[in-house]
Amino acid sequence: MNFDLTEEQRLLVATVRRFIDEHLAPLEDQVDREGVLAPETARAIFKKSQALGLYATNIPTTFGGGGLNAFDTMLLEEQFGRTSDILIRRAFGNVYEVLLRCSASQVKRWLLPSVRGERTCSIAITEPGAGSDAASIKTRAVRDGDGWRLSGHKHYISDGLFSDFFVVSAVTDLAAGSRGISLFLVDKDSAGFTVGRDQPMMGLRGTSHIEMFFDGIRLEAENLLGEEGRGMRQVLETLGRVRLGQVGARAVGKAAKVLDLMVEHAREREQFGQPIGAFQLVQQMLADSAIEINAARLLLWQAAAEIDRSGDGRELISMVKVHAAETLGRVVDRAVQVFGGSGFSKDQPIERYYRDARIYRIFDGTSEIHRTVLGGALMKKGAALYDPAS
Amino acid sequence: MKVLVPVKRVIDYNVKVRVKADQTGVELANVKMSMNPFDEISIEEALRLREAGKAEEVIAVSIGVQQCQETIRTALAMGADRGIHVLHDGELEPLAVAKMLKAIADKEGPSLILVGKQAIDDDCNQTGQMLAALLGWGQATFISKLEVGDTELTATREVDGGLETLTLKLPAVLTTDLRLNEPRYASLPNIMKAKKKPIDQMSPADLGVDPSPRLETLRVVEPPKREAGVIVADVAELVEKLRNVAKVI
Ligand SMILES: Cc1cc2nc3c(=O)[nH]c(=O)nc-3n(C[C@H](O)[C@H](O)[C@H](O)COP(=O)(O)OP(=O)(O)OC[C@H]3O[C@@H](n4cnc5c(N)ncnc54)[C@H](O)[C@@H]3O)c2cc1C
Repeated sequence: MNFDLTEEQRLLVATVRRFIDEHLAPLEDQVDREGVLAPETARAIFKKSQALGLYATNIPTTFGGGGLNAFDTMLLEEQFGRTSDILIRRAFGNVYEVLLRCSASQVKRWLLPSVRGERTCSIAITEPGAGSDAASIKTRAVRDGDGWRLSGHKHYISDGLFSDFFVVSAVTDLAAGSRGISLFLVDKDSAGFTVGRDQPMMGLRGTSHIEMFFDGIRLEAENLLGEEGRGMRQVLETLGRVRLGQVGARAVGKAAKVLDLMVEHAREREQFGQPIGAFQLVQQMLADSAIEINAARLLLWQAAAEIDRSGDGRELISMVKVHAAETLGRVVDRAVQVFGGSGFSKDQPIERYYRDARIYRIFDGTSEIHRTVLGGALMKKGAALYDPAS
Repeated sequence: MKVLVPVKRVIDYNVKVRVKADQTGVELANVKMSMNPFDEISIEEALRLREAGKAEEVIAVSIGVQQCQETIRTALAMGADRGIHVLHDGELEPLAVAKMLKAIADKEGPSLILVGKQAIDDDCNQTGQMLAALLGWGQATFISKLEVGDTELTATREVDGGLETLTLKLPAVLTTDLRLNEPRYASLPNIMKAKKKPIDQMSPADLGVDPSPRLETLRVVEPPKREAGVIVADVAELVEKLRNVAKVI
């Protein structure tokens, strides 16, 4: 087994790392303090990143993207995790792979402009009454001629203020349960679309999370994404890779970044006449973090390689989602400890990482949900599921 | 015109260099290696000449172990057109490198060779000058600004007293300094394209050069550790210490 990266992969990582260090890292604190990224700054970092081919790297080259496979996408996503959510969105694009379900005519209207950075898409599934139980949504699309009328209410939709269209889940067949849910491409400027509050959050400052209301929005046949009634399946199939990248890989990257800061601080900060890194109790916090981060990264690579090999890595993705998110949680907690008072102070970035880390265990399926999925798979298929000898 | 750019694989500038236990050299095992930063500047300048329509082709040359191909790939990913790799496993001294570069220049016929002013591993600062002498071409070292015309070039170089401007006839050898430019990122499309660009491999013998070292390394040692300072009471004590302890006056 070869864990070495190729020269191309190392160059890719180096380019992204340098881009983040030079162009994004200097903006992080201000964005967190002010809660907004100025539109002209957003535009500028988009232009710079696009010129280097770093926007929409996960989308095939036939649609103008970077054409990276799952593994290389994860290498970049890990680097993305080293900066903050809103800066990733504007610099590198969160172009969701579910858009690859677009038909030829939909491609022109929704996918291509997203890859070019002219339009931005968010995913709107969660409702006040339907979170973990995503099949229990109340939003409905009722047949109306050859189209539909969409009514309902979504909340916590990331980047909703900036986005100009959404992939919305809605019930199209009440009697069919989870097989009665479909996905729609919904433009924000549609009649009957109302943007509600920007719901303030603990972290991820600079990114909006909004409520939205649909009041009989008219949808044409062209607004249906993929097949009618297969929405939940499509979400499961395509959001797996998103979950691996935007949560798993970014959690690994963020934890690795925080460990860098911890080690630097442990070397420089002196108490009792020596660097605090000389104390074994401090070293233990560093060592435990390094062990867990490395394990999470290798699990991430395994899941990514599995996606490239078989197109599916569902259980592995769940493992990464849980392990990477929880590793990040433990690492930022230790980081506050290693930094002491300056870890709690807003004058240092550790406090921001601590706030930003918490959501990783919640969005894109809570740790409990992913553990439940894994447990279920184990009960059904047996422990041999993860045994290479079997 | 063609521009030839030698690129050396050196220990990355971020690495803390350690001397090998047997004192024969510095530790290279498991150490991050990168392109010599001055050579990145040379590649950048060559690419700018090509983009300005002054050069048609940028060729990156590296001499050394098999992994030098990675350094060449980095140059190709930045935008160089093709690579030449002279495979050699042993020690290399500036004169041997200059002789091999001359042989390559004789074959390729570049109008310009952009050499880093020095490599950050041995800091020799000799290869460019030796190469110019072997070729019988004009040279400008430590350049911080370059303008290339059809038959001549103007180079600004940093000297102790300020800036010196030289006009040279082409072909010429230039050695590049830090302030010449800021090297670009390798873009994603260029990284992907680099895979398909050709790298010619040859041996020193193919170039008719015997690379055996002319110098013998006796011992490599760490610089002495800096000792703790002392606070002196007055000027008289300072002078006394400088004279009798430091023995510098
Ligand atoms: C910052 C942020 C950004 C978000 N972005 C988006 C977005 O862009 N698009 C979108 O559609 N949604 C988004 N969400 C919503 C997010 O996906 C949900 O919050 C998440 O899925 C959890 O749902 P919930 O909040 O309703 O919690 P609940 O489902 O109510 O869960 C509450 C608790 O109960 C536990 N629980 C629930 N069911 C079970 C079970 N069967 N077994 C054991 N424990 C269980 C959960 O694990 C959790 O601990 C975002 C949320 C936040 C906070």
